[in-house]
Order: sequence, then C-alpha cells, then structure tokens
Amino acid sequence: MTPEQAYQTVQQTLYVLAPEILLVAVAIVMMTASPFVKVARKHWCALAAAALAAAVMVLSATRHVDPDVYAASAINDAFSFYVRLFVLLSGFIMLGLAHREPPEGRAAEFFGSFLMLEAGTMLTASSNDLILLFVGLELVSIPTYLWLYLSRRSAATREATTKYFFLSIFASALTLYGMTFLYGAAGTTNLKALGALTASSIPYFPNMSLGILAVVFVMGGLCFRIAAVPLHFYAPDVYQASPLPVTAMLSWVPKVVGSAAMIRVLTAVLASRQMGDPLVHKVVILCWIIAVATMTLGNMVGLLQTDLKRLLAYSSIAHAGYIMVGITAAFAGGEKGIAFYHGVEAVLFYLVAYAFMTLGAFGLIQALQTRDGRPATSIYDLSGAGWSNRIPAFGLTICLLSLLGFPPMAGFLGKFQIFSAAFAAVEGPEAFSLQLLAVIGMLNAAVGAFYYLRIIVLMYLGEPAEPLTAVGGWPVALATATCAVMSILVTIASEPISRACHEAAVASNARPAAAIELPPPGTATAAVAPPAIRVARD
Amino acid sequence: MATLLALTVFLPLIGALALVLLPNLDKEASRSIALWTSLVTFAFCLLFLVSFEPDVTAPQFAAGPDGGPYGWSWLGRPDVRFALGLDGISIWLFVLTGLLSVVSVLVSWEVASERVALFYAFLLLLETGLLGLFAALDVVLFYVFFEFTLIPLFFNIGIWGGPDRRRASIYFFLYTLAGGLLTLLGVIAIVVVHMQYSPGHVLTFSIPELTRGLATIEWDEWYRVDSWTSPQILIFLLLFAGFAIKVPLFPFHTWLPLAHVEAPTAGSILLAGVLLKLGAYGLIRFNLAMTPLAAQALYPFLAALCVVGIIYGALTALAQTDMKRLVAYSSVSHMGFVVLGLAAMSATGINGAVIQMVNHGLTTGALFACVGVLYHRYHTRDMNVLGGSWVKFPVLAFFFIYSALGSAALPGLNGFIGEFPILAATFAVSPWTCAGAVVGMILGAFYLMVLLWRAVFGPLREPAGDGHEHAEVAPFGWFEGAALGSLAVVILCIGILPEVFFSRIRPAAAELTRVVERQEQAAFKVAARAAAAPAGASVTMLSRDAR
Repeated sequence: MTPEQAYQTVQQTLYVLAPEILLVAVAIVMMTASPFVKVARKHWCALAAAALAAAVMVLSATRHVDPDVYAASAINDAFSFYVRLFVLLSGFIMLGLAHREPPEGRAAEFFGSFLMLEAGTMLTASSNDLILLFVGLELVSIPTYLWLYLSRRSAATREATTKYFFLSIFASALTLYGMTFLYGAAGTTNLKALGALTASSIPYFPNMSLGILAVVFVMGGLCFRIAAVPLHFYAPDVYQASPLPVTAMLSWVPKVVGSAAMIRVLTAVLASRQMGDPLVHKVVILCWIIAVATMTLGNMVGLLQTDLKRLLAYSSIAHAGYIMVGITAAFAGGEKGIAFYHGVEAVLFYLVAYAFMTLGAFGLIQALQTRDGRPATSIYDLSGAGWSNRIPAFGLTICLLSLLGFPPMAGFLGKFQIFSAAFAAVEGPEAFSLQLLAVIGMLNAAVGAFYYLRIIVLMYLGEPAEPLTAVGGWPVALATATCAVMSILVTIASEPISRACHEAAVASNARPAAAIELPPPGTATAAVAPPAIRVARD
Repeated sequence: MATLLALTVFLPLIGALALVLLPNLDKEASRSIALWTSLVTFAFCLLFLVSFEPDVTAPQFAAGPDGGPYGWSWLGRPDVRFALGLDGISIWLFVLTGLLSVVSVLVSWEVASERVALFYAFLLLLETGLLGLFAALDVVLFYVFFEFTLIPLFFNIGIWGGPDRRRASIYFFLYTLAGGLLTLLGVIAIVVVHMQYSPGHVLTFSIPELTRGLATIEWDEWYRVDSWTSPQILIFLLLFAGFAIKVPLFPFHTWLPLAHVEAPTAGSILLAGVLLKLGAYGLIRFNLAMTPLAAQALYPFLAALCVVGIIYGALTALAQTDMKRLVAYSSVSHMGFVVLGLAAMSATGINGAVIQMVNHGLTTGALFACVGVLYHRYHTRDMNVLGGSWVKFPVLAFFFIYSALGSAALPGLNGFIGEFPILAATFAVSPWTCAGAVVGMILGAFYLMVLLWRAVFGPLREPAGDGHEHAEVAPFGWFEGAALGSLAVVILCIGILPEVFFSRIRPAAAELTRVVERQEQAAFKVAARAAAAPAGASVTMLSRDAR
C-alpha cells in the first residue's frame, strides 16, 4: 500500500465515521460546558436532538464514500448505512421518552452520554475491524452505566447499576477474549479480510478448535448485550430498578448493538461456509441451544410476572431468543438462502419491528401515571385503563399485539421473516433441526401470547382501578404515537424497510472479489515453497 | 372488478372507522351506520354473485392492474401480493358473510345497550376480516386475515359477553392463536418446499400457483406418505393444527361451547355461521389442495375424528338444558359432517361439504338468532324455566321450527341438500364411517326435536322472580323478523333450487379433484421407480458396506 493509498483510506474512514465523530464531539462539548453554563434541561435535550438531526444529514452526505474494505477499519456498505440511519431515527424516539427524566442539574451529562451511546451503536454497525468494533461496544456500555445512575440516585438504581456494571465488564472481557482467538487464527483484525480468508481454500482455516473457542467467547459476551441465555439474568432486576425511559433504552440499544456485532464478527465472517462445514455445524448447534433456551425461559417465566417492567424484561429475553433463531438461520444459510429471507435480513427487520413495539410499550407505560405521580408498576394498575385513558391504552394494545406477533402488526412480519429464514436456510436432511427450531419458536410465541394478552384483557375487561392520567407532554405523545402507528405501518407498507434490510443483509455477507489463490491440494504438498499469497483487490 | 372486490372487503372497515372516530354517536345513529354499511357490502357481494361465471375454474375478479400475477404488490421482496379473487367455493362463503353480517347487525338492534358504536365497529371489523379471508389468493394475506378475525371477536365476547366472558374470550383467543401459529409454520413450509424443489425454484405465495406447483415438484420424498415423518404428512399436520381447532374437530372443540355461551347473539351468529367455516375453508385450500396425499393417507384418522365428533357433539347437545349450549354442540356435530365430506376427497363430497358449510351458517345462525330473541327478553336460556314460546311469539316459533327442521336435514330444506352428498361420498370410501355418521344424523333430529319440544311447544313457562314484568316483554320486532326472514328465504332456496348453488361449486370442486389426481399420478410414478430400482439400490448399499 502506497502512502497515497494509506492517506486516502484514512481520509475516507474519517468521512465514514463523521456522524459518530460529530455526536461524540457534541457530547464532549455538552459535558464540558455544563458546569460553567446554566442551560435548562429542555435546551440540552433540544441540543441533543439537533445533534442527532445533524448526524442524519452528515450520514446522508457521506453515503457514497466507499473506502477500500481490506484496508479501512470502517466501511460504508448498505448494512452500516441503514443500521446507523435507523439507530439515529430511533434516537429521536428515545429522546422524546427521556426528555424529562434527568434532574435539571445533570441534564447535560445525561443527554451527552445518550449521544455517546448512539455513537457507539453506530460505530459497531459500521466497523470493519475487531478493535474498532470493540471500541464501539464499549462506547455503548460506559455511557449506559452513567444513564443507569445519573437520573435517579436511589439505592435501587445503585444496585441495578452495580449489577449491570460488573456483568457488562465480564461480558466485554469474554468478547475481547474471543476476538483474540480470531486474531490469533488469522493474523488480521480486518473483518472483511477474515471473511475472505474463510472463503479461501487455505487448508485448516478457520482452525476448528480455535474457531469454536472464538465463536463461543464472542457469542457469550454478545449474549449479555442482547439479554440471551446464559447472560440474561441481569435483565429483570436492572429493568425493574431503572426509571422507565432508561429501561426502554436498555431493551433496545443493547439488542441492536449485540445483533450488529454478531452479524459483523460472526455470521458475515463465516458466511462462505455452509452447514456441512464442521465449524459452522458446531456453531449452529450452539446458537440453536441458546435460541431455544432463551425463548423458552423468557416466555415461561414471563407468564408468572405481574410487575410490568419485569414482565417486559422477560419479554425482552424472549425476543432475544427469536433474534437468535434468525442468527442461527444466518449461520446455517451462509451466503445462500437469499432467495427467500436470509437470516441477517430477518434479524434486521425484526429489530426494526422490535424497536417500535418495545419503545412504544415502555413509553406508554411511562406516560400512564397514577394521580400521585407514580408510574404504573404492576399490571393491575392498568386495570380498566382501556376506558379511562382510551388513546394511550389503544396505543399500548397495538404495541402489545405487535410484541405478541399478531397480524397485521409489525411483530407478525418480523416473526414471519425469522421463522421463514429458519425454514429456508438449508435444504435436505440437515434442514430438520432448523425446522424444529421454528416449531419450538412458534410454540413459544403461543405461550408468550398469554402474558401480553393478560395486560390487554385487564385494560379492557378488568374492573376499573385507580384512574390514571397521561403525562409527559407532546414529546412523549409524539414518540409513542410514532411507535404505535409505525407498528401497523411497517406491515402495510413494508416494502422500503424490507428492501433496506435485504440490501443490508447482502452487503454484510459480500466480499469484494478477493481470490486467495492456492495451487490445488495435490500439488501443494509437492511444492517446496508455498507460493506467495496474492490478495486481489476489486 | 378487482378494485371493487378490494373495496368491498374494506368497506366494513371504513364503516367501523367512522363508528369509532365520529364523535358523540348515539345508539340510533350508530346502528343505522352499521346497518347501511353492511347492507351496501352485502349488495356488492350479490353483485359479485350475479357477475360470477359458473364455468370458470380460475379465480375470478382477480386480475391485477398490471395484468401479470394476481393483485397488487404488497411486501415487495419476496413477492407477497395483495391478491383477491373468488372461485366457486369462496364465492358462497363470501356472500354468506355479507348476509350474516346484516343479520347480526339486525338481531342486535335493541340488544346492544352500552358502547353501541364500538359494538358495531367490532362487528364490521370482523366482517372485513372474514371477507378478506375468503377472497385472499395469497397465503400470507390469507393468514393475516385468518388471525385478524380473532381480535374483533375477542373484544366482542370479552366486552359484551355473559358473566364468564373474560375466561371465555382468553380461552378462545389463546387456543385458536396457538393453532394458528402452527398453521403459519405449515404455510411457510409449503412455500419453502415449493421454492426448493419446484423446477426453476420459483418463490411464490399465490395460492393457485402453489396448488398447481406442488403437484409437479421434483422431490420423490414429497410423494411418499407411508410414514409419520414424511414431509407431506408433517406439513399436513402443521396446517391441520390451526384449521382443526377453528372447525372445531372433536378433541379440539373445547373452546367452542364456552365462547358461544358467553358471546352476545351477534357474535355467536358470526362465530358459528362464518368463523367456523374458516377452518373448513382452510382445510380445502391448504390441506386438500396442497397436501392431498397426506389427506388420503390420514383418512382413517380424519374420519374417526369426524365420526366421534358427530356422535359426541350430538349426545352432548342432547344433555344440555341451556339452549345456546345445545346449538353450540350441534355445531360440533355438523362441522364434523363438513370435514367428513371434505375428507372423502371426491367431487361429490366436496360439493356437499361446501354447500353444507353454507347451510350450517344459515341454520345455526337462525337458531342462535331465535335463542337470542328469547334470551334478550327473559335473560335466561334455561329450558327448565323457559318454554312454550309459541303462545307468546308465534312468528318466532315458526322461524324456530323452520330452522331446526333445516338443521335436521328435512328434505325440501337446505340441510338435506348438504348432508346427502356427504354421506353418499363417504359411503363410497368407507361404508362403516357412513353408518356412524348416519347415527349422528338421527341423534341430530332427536336433539333438535327436544329443543323444539321444550322451548316452543307446551304451555308457556316464564322464569319467575328475575325482576322483569313478563306481561310487557317486548314483542317480536321488525328487525328480528327481517333477520330471520332473510335467512329463511335462503334456506328454502337451497332446499328447492340446489342446482343454482351446485352449478357454481362444481367446477371448482372438479379442479380440486384434478389437482389431487395429479399428485396421485406423480406418487405412482415415484412408487414405480422405487419398485424398479431395488436391485440396483441394494448393490450400492452392499458395496458401500464392503468399502
């Protein structure tokens, strides 16, 4: 690589990362300025929203910057563009929900750390390098600790933060440890190069035992982010102890970060291998077990909950299970399986649907408060709300039906895509395990329907409880209305989103022509010196 | 016409939105909006019936604006389409839905008292779901409408139902949802099988295309149905899960009596009249047309479920004192006949089953309406305390007797026209099954006569001490007369002019049997190839072992 090329690559990478850089810069300015200037909370919030809007514009402006994928540490393919765009847009919803959450004195830090975790999410989606991806993951984690504790300093939030902090550190360490194996096996941290190496005919790569170690550890760490078994158990406690806007964020941002990281580090790298490959076979078994355990645990324990936040926490675990079904399908299908729904495509669509339904549900529960200003905590607080608070209850019903996976809501199409992807991922006798996975998933969806339905039944058929008042002002109303409307609209007019997800899925698995040419196996042993490995560009 | 069909499907939805969104609707305004919406929708349904061409087997009114595949693009990628169309089977159920919606608006004319606008809005919403389902030509669209019908009925039972309404609505919703989700998997499986094994690997969601394509796919395994784990049987069972619950077939019927007893009359009419047909219609469209070999292989199993259901439903109906529960169990019995006719897989059986679906919708709807008229006035349905209604309501008594006779398959009325071909077709396949079903028919006449004897004939018995002044119970209203009268006319029409109905069903049923034949021929070919191969196959196995 000539210095000119290197310079160009750096320049283009910086262009690609301009939205993230902008967000972090604004966050730093906010946090630095806050002790010296006195600005009202709503202005800090407006500043954060303006930063998000500016980032959207920068993102669109840099749409066509396309650095060399084998050199740059950040890429700008369809996957990174659409995921970042959606994360930014969902940021407005989260800001709307959280606009009154922090106390006046800590608003700058609160919204600043929000911008940082948005930037971290985007960084993860656009990263093409193990190191940058890890930085992205941490740029989400660290502001999350702040978020958990900044808004309300009570014993409960302290406990939740501590719990989340230690487990998150542990999970990050697991991920990092797994990444070292990937690096050790390949000698490069560039993800597309890793994918190209996997696709090549180099013998013994990826090494079976190193490969499985890497996948197990990376997957283990990321399971924490998406709240999947075995690192799910923080979710109910942390959700319950945190204020609702924070819980809403926790149920969405870590999921998208974890899924994006799984796709970038694992499924895209192994995409060229099929079910027949021994490593992929083992990975599919691993994901299969995680998916089944997560779905089943989330739904079964969810049945027993009466606390709204705990219930939604277990629902979030169950949804992590559905996402894992999609990830399993993505591993099994590899680069094929594009004809119907690809696993990655289904996961991305599911995440879009999930964003609207879960943020909407949390936002509406937050908006419904009892007369003494306490938000509804138990499902019985919502009893009869369908008649006393018609519009919020109707919106909540839509979001819950969408979570339940009921047509014509967004959640239905998400589940349809996930299970279709699992069904169509492979052909022949190996398809059976994935089809069984889909059957288990559907049965789970049927079980899970009960606890969502129970809330709807209470709202419309229950005895009227203490009347609730809808609070939060227009930002909450607008955010939740967007969620509820989009939960229906995503199904009715799904074509743009479907197409974006498809392009993103194709892009995540695509590698520019990189043929690592080796002589055929027979002659390779005869050759005295291995021929130079040539990586063709373009 | 395609646009008009889509408009007809969504017309009740527009009415429902108007009912919900217009402020301060009083009872008078909301029920007239509901009545006019359902009447206009029914008029459109009749328009489709009139312009329906009897001899065309392909779905009609289906051409999309681009002239290519049916309907309009919906999900884009993959090409799930918003495709609507009617053939000889669905046209009748489509019109039946239109008619019964008008009837259910009429019977709840005075009944609905609180949240009237919302009540009618849910009825119209249900109508949209049902019309869309019968017209859907795309599997995903079909499924969306299939599940969507649960919501309005769930609220209909849950908000306006009887004392145990909460349990009934939850039970109904969860039970049918669980089955429906498995059906969704079956639908996905069918699409995937078609994509992976059809020549050219076509990914299609169109019901006609799938039906044709599945008979020609190049996958020997598909045509083997000799073990429980063969793909066609497994897919059949997945699809069957949702439809059997919806029908409901014998062991899956437990949600039905509860839902019926608690539902308001209008809900019961649509539930029994149309919603149960969704299951049978799904069986025709998916289980019979797409996995016919499995349906044939499982005939003993299906027939046993049907016969047990017929007799069990009849016996249980005989033991009831609650009139509505009696009619509900009679539905279990009658729907057993429908599935029995379908399972015979012959043109006669399918003809009979389709007409019997319409019959059951009409007669059971009428019986529920009659029971509802009494219940609205006396607030009880117990035949021990209530009876002899002839004395007070002679017109009602006429309709009661008339629809009970129709239900008991009196020649000249509609039930006979449906049950006779079903029994004939069943006899051709398995005389013993037919014998069992005939026992059910005798029992059917028995419990219906008991119902008439106790509720209509004899001295007037009115419940005492429920705080109502019985001397002043509301007389039989014009709206109830209109509702029951329109049903009675159609009941008579089917009874005396069955050819009008059969002539439109026949081509579609024949098309279905042709599909079945095609799969059978493919199966024969596969079997012949397997029979020719064994010598060679064993050699390769031996040589592999030797190696």
